[in-house]
Amino acid sequence: MVIACALKIKRILLCGPRKIFAIHRSPEKFYAFLRNFALYFNSRTAVTIGTVGAQGEGGTMGSLFRSEEMALCQLFLQSESAYTCVSELGELGLVQFRDLNPDVNAFQRKFVNEVRRCDEMERKLRYLEREIRKDGIPVLDTGENPEAPMPREMIDLEATYEKLENELKEVNSNAEALKRNYLELTELKHILKKTQVFFDEAMYPPNMPYDQDVYFDDDERVNLLTDPALQNLKHIGFVAGVIFRERLPAFERMLWRACRGNVFLRQAEIDDPLEDPATGEQVYKSVFIIFFQGDQLKMRVKKICEGFRATMYPCPEAPADRREMAMGVKTRLDDLNTVLSQTQDHRHRVLVSAARNIRAWMMKVWKIKAIYHTLNMFNLDVIQNGLIAECWIPVADLEVVQLALRRGTEKSGSLPAILNRLSTLESPPTFHRTNKFTKAFQALIDAYGVASYREINPAPYTIITFPFLFSVMFGDVGHGMIMALFGGWMVWREKPLSAKKTDNEIWNIFFGGRYIILLMGLFSMYTGLIYNDVFSKSLNLFGSHWHIGFNDTDLRHNRELGLDPAKSDHYEGDPYPFGLDPMWQISLNKINFYNSYKMKISIIFGICHMMFGVILSVWNHRFFNRPLNIYSLFIPQVIFLCSLFVYLVLLVFHKWVWYGAGAENSVSPYCAPSILITFINMVLMKGYQEQDPESDCNPYMFAGQFGFQRFLLVVALICVPWMLCMKPYFMIRENKQRAMMTAANGGEGIVEEGGEVVAAGGEQHDMGEVWIHQGIHTIEYVLGSVSHTASYLRLWALSLAHAQLSEVLWGMVLRIGLTAGGTLGGILMYLIFAAWACLTVAILVLMEGLSAFLHTLRLHWVEFQSKFYEGQGYAFIPFAFETILEQAETTV
Amino acid sequence: MLDSLFNIDCGYLEGLCRGFKNGILKQTDYLNLVQCETLDDLKLHLQSTDYGNFLSNEASPLQVSVIDDKLRDKLVTEFQHMRNHAVEPLGTFLDYITYGYMIDNIVLLITGALHQRPISELMPKCHPLGTFEQIEAINVASTSNELYNAVLVDTPLADFFGECVSEQDLDELNIEIIRNTLYKAYLESFYSYCKSLGGITAEVMCEILAFEADRRAFIITLNSFGTELTKEDRAKLYPTCGRLNPDGLAALARADDPENVKQVAEFYAVFMDPNADNLKNSRTENEDLFTFLGVSMKLFFLSVCLSVLYSYLLPKNFEIKEVGWVIDSITSAH
Repeated sequence: MVIACALKIKRILLCGPRKIFAIHRSPEKFYAFLRNFALYFNSRTAVTIGTVGAQGEGGTMGSLFRSEEMALCQLFLQSESAYTCVSELGELGLVQFRDLNPDVNAFQRKFVNEVRRCDEMERKLRYLEREIRKDGIPVLDTGENPEAPMPREMIDLEATYEKLENELKEVNSNAEALKRNYLELTELKHILKKTQVFFDEAMYPPNMPYDQDVYFDDDERVNLLTDPALQNLKHIGFVAGVIFRERLPAFERMLWRACRGNVFLRQAEIDDPLEDPATGEQVYKSVFIIFFQGDQLKMRVKKICEGFRATMYPCPEAPADRREMAMGVKTRLDDLNTVLSQTQDHRHRVLVSAARNIRAWMMKVWKIKAIYHTLNMFNLDVIQNGLIAECWIPVADLEVVQLALRRGTEKSGSLPAILNRLSTLESPPTFHRTNKFTKAFQALIDAYGVASYREINPAPYTIITFPFLFSVMFGDVGHGMIMALFGGWMVWREKPLSAKKTDNEIWNIFFGGRYIILLMGLFSMYTGLIYNDVFSKSLNLFGSHWHIGFNDTDLRHNRELGLDPAKSDHYEGDPYPFGLDPMWQISLNKINFYNSYKMKISIIFGICHMMFGVILSVWNHRFFNRPLNIYSLFIPQVIFLCSLFVYLVLLVFHKWVWYGAGAENSVSPYCAPSILITFINMVLMKGYQEQDPESDCNPYMFAGQFGFQRFLLVVALICVPWMLCMKPYFMIRENKQRAMMTAANGGEGIVEEGGEVVAAGGEQHDMGEVWIHQGIHTIEYVLGSVSHTASYLRLWALSLAHAQLSEVLWGMVLRIGLTAGGTLGGILMYLIFAAWACLTVAILVLMEGLSAFLHTLRLHWVEFQSKFYEGQGYAFIPFAFETILEQAETTV
Repeated sequence: MLDSLFNIDCGYLEGLCRGFKNGILKQTDYLNLVQCETLDDLKLHLQSTDYGNFLSNEASPLQVSVIDDKLRDKLVTEFQHMRNHAVEPLGTFLDYITYGYMIDNIVLLITGALHQRPISELMPKCHPLGTFEQIEAINVASTSNELYNAVLVDTPLADFFGECVSEQDLDELNIEIIRNTLYKAYLESFYSYCKSLGGITAEVMCEILAFEADRRAFIITLNSFGTELTKEDRAKLYPTCGRLNPDGLAALARADDPENVKQVAEFYAVFMDPNADNLKNSRTENEDLFTFLGVSMKLFFLSVCLSVLYSYLLPKNFEIKEVGWVIDSITSAH
């Protein structure tokens, strides 16, 4: 019964637009379509918005209408089977454990050693993975989900990882030693090559013709070594080495200062980057050679070299020795190269074999760790040698949990686990079973506040109202189609796209809301058809029902001509079959017409939406057994809203139906009163002047309007003290009765019907607080109905802005291209179309879309949900391997 | 007006720094740390704090030095991040902070070199915030003149070194004099820089630096008893930007024993109120540091000034020290 009523309301809400737009589709069909749509996306769980109809009061089946019924359970686990049971529950993901030792330090809990071992294994695996990634080996993701291994298998796993890690470490340290050797030899090679040039320069000064091939530094023409006094190299010692290129300037300066200019340094850059053996990075280095005289200077130079981490190499003085050494270095380098490549091959083999399993290993370790973390939250039962856990379980799933526990105990072969249901006063967590379609909509609601336990969830209604209100602001077939195509593509490619895990936050937001985007796009196309707006142009699908019935002379002598709907050669007499007549698009008074129309439908939608919200609150009041709230809040609220705002809506319809072209006398189009003025006068209780005898118009829309309006206003005003006073009054009375009863019972406390023991005086309401609360609530509702109604005008405002913006874009950008003629015009069109398309997507679809989205969100959170939604609950976070693995994977 | 534009340049970093400050270990964290029995326990607990997974990639028998390094690394990364994002005047301000560490590092290395320790062994003990390019070649210098001409002349410390250039060989006393002279010049320069910045920064930083200057004056005096340092030389080492200047410093210069120092301190209420015996045992410096810490924590309540960044480093360094003590006590218990 309840639901039938809800459905009816919903139908009214959904019918609202339909009546206006004259779509002839039955609400049942529409609803069935929706249900099928939702069912299609989740054939696995029979929990969809469609089942709202099957939901009775206090129904136990899962539904989005109310959150799941939860039970606080106590779990006795045998210490042998605890691990397997928790593992099964983790696979199931339907149980939320409570931490029973919140005061115990992380390192003082029972299974801290196991957790630590897992950390250690995880570290080893991370090391392996890093190495695998370094070598660019693809990690195989088979998508398999290995079960958590038994605790006794942990030792094997540990041994495997240990072995692998050690092997890899050994290979790495070997490779590093080899690489260091290699680096040294390469550096030596470069030194020998570059210093050869320096020595050659010294032997054959540049002013002497020597060999054309010899390399000379351009700026080093004046060479100290060519000085005759220093010609003889035998008296001069030298040091050759290699240094990081960026440290060279400071090195040079320091040498100069510390040795007071008594050394001579030549340097040459090594062109190829060298690999740092420790980090594997590519570094640039320079060769230098320092000439000096005397031992003291030698000491000093060496110290400085060490200080700057320069590596020094022996470099023979005689050219023949150098050549010989160079040859030796070359052969050793070749040898090293072969050894190095063999080591790399070995390493590669080890890593490839590890890469095949690493995903599964990681998952296993994460699962074990999660299980032990959970076990750490349990209490120890000393007597029975077991563990005690407390957890929240959805009542509907108690059977499934029992089964999982049985499986767990069978695996370990010990005594069965015992599941006890506890009664509690604590408020249970809120759990909505969602599927991939409803998840995004639920997320929109949860972003405002998680529903209180078992209160009405606005999410199922939001699935329709959200895209609909969005589309009222975003009505344009073209833009809607772009959005729908994007959303449709994401839905179409759902599996491959979701498999591609990415950190891109913006993409994740869009992808998470793919069904919302798709629905928003489809609905926008629909309202776009109603507004007859495609990129700010109209479609003339059925042929306009307006005709230019003027002759040539009329056209020649008038700048502006109006089409008269009363004349049959101007207007066919019946409206365009679907949406607005395309003729409006090119008329001068288009804005006036659209404004009046859009403003009125915004108000109508808004009031329907709010009314719906108020009516939903009845189900909360009835469900939580608060009849007082129905009499003291719901009824006056409905009456208040009806007598003022629903009346306003009725006036709008009255005006639409009664007044029109062709009508005569008092209902002729010239007599139509302004609804806004009428409403203002109603609130100010202002009558009209006497009827103007010269015209046929009647300022009243129907007989007895003035008296009726006065009556409605009085009724609305009466509702205010009703809302304000009734509830506190009854609460005071109840308190008094309770106090008397307690006194009669001798202060023992009373047992209420629900079986809950209420301590005497425990529920004493602070009356001052109640009054203030009720006052705030009343003021909020009364002022809120006015301001919220006005707030729905944003539907009109954004829709107007959107239409105007797209018109401007067409008129000021694309038109330039369309009007330019000739070949040049073609090229211009090509460029301008690109600009127009980019601007359309960036501004009209993305930015306008976001702003319309935000406004829709606000309309739902503030205007709709404030009528019935508390949002004081906390979410149910079950212990599930699925989410744990997901989290672990993103942090890796 | 200037204050209202503060956030353009420094707002982000100030916010960031306050965020870092919230990560400083709390009383309860220390209570828990004290209960740790092994280094693994410590690691597990630190994981739940702002340090996060900083040790998660280390193999299990944890080395004390590794923990130490990692603790310090975090501070250094944070500081470097802020330095890289800083614009003037914050950039210079942060540079000034690092100069203090440079002075300590130089003194550490020279002392080590005097005792024939190899530089490579000493380098890990240097604070990473105070390194500069030439630091490892510091043992080239055998006299302060050489130290200046060869090493320090290219560093920002060159400006502070002017007074201590001499041809004397470096020895313990000499080094101590160099350290204090450098520090005096550094403090005075920092003081005048902060003053030039104006605004709340000047107000607050000058107060802190004045306190630091006075603290050093006391410590120099106390440490000089029983050494060859003459009273005239000692007087030269006192930083003059503190509140003790000039009367207090003159009195300190005349002091002959700790009792005299205490008399001086009694004139200045700041130093006496936390606890009266403070100065008697202030050779350990720690209690004094606590007062200092108190001053710096107060700074966090002020906004629109650069000193927030300064006052972040102090407790953070202190925290690293404290965690170090915990580690020491854990390892020595085994």
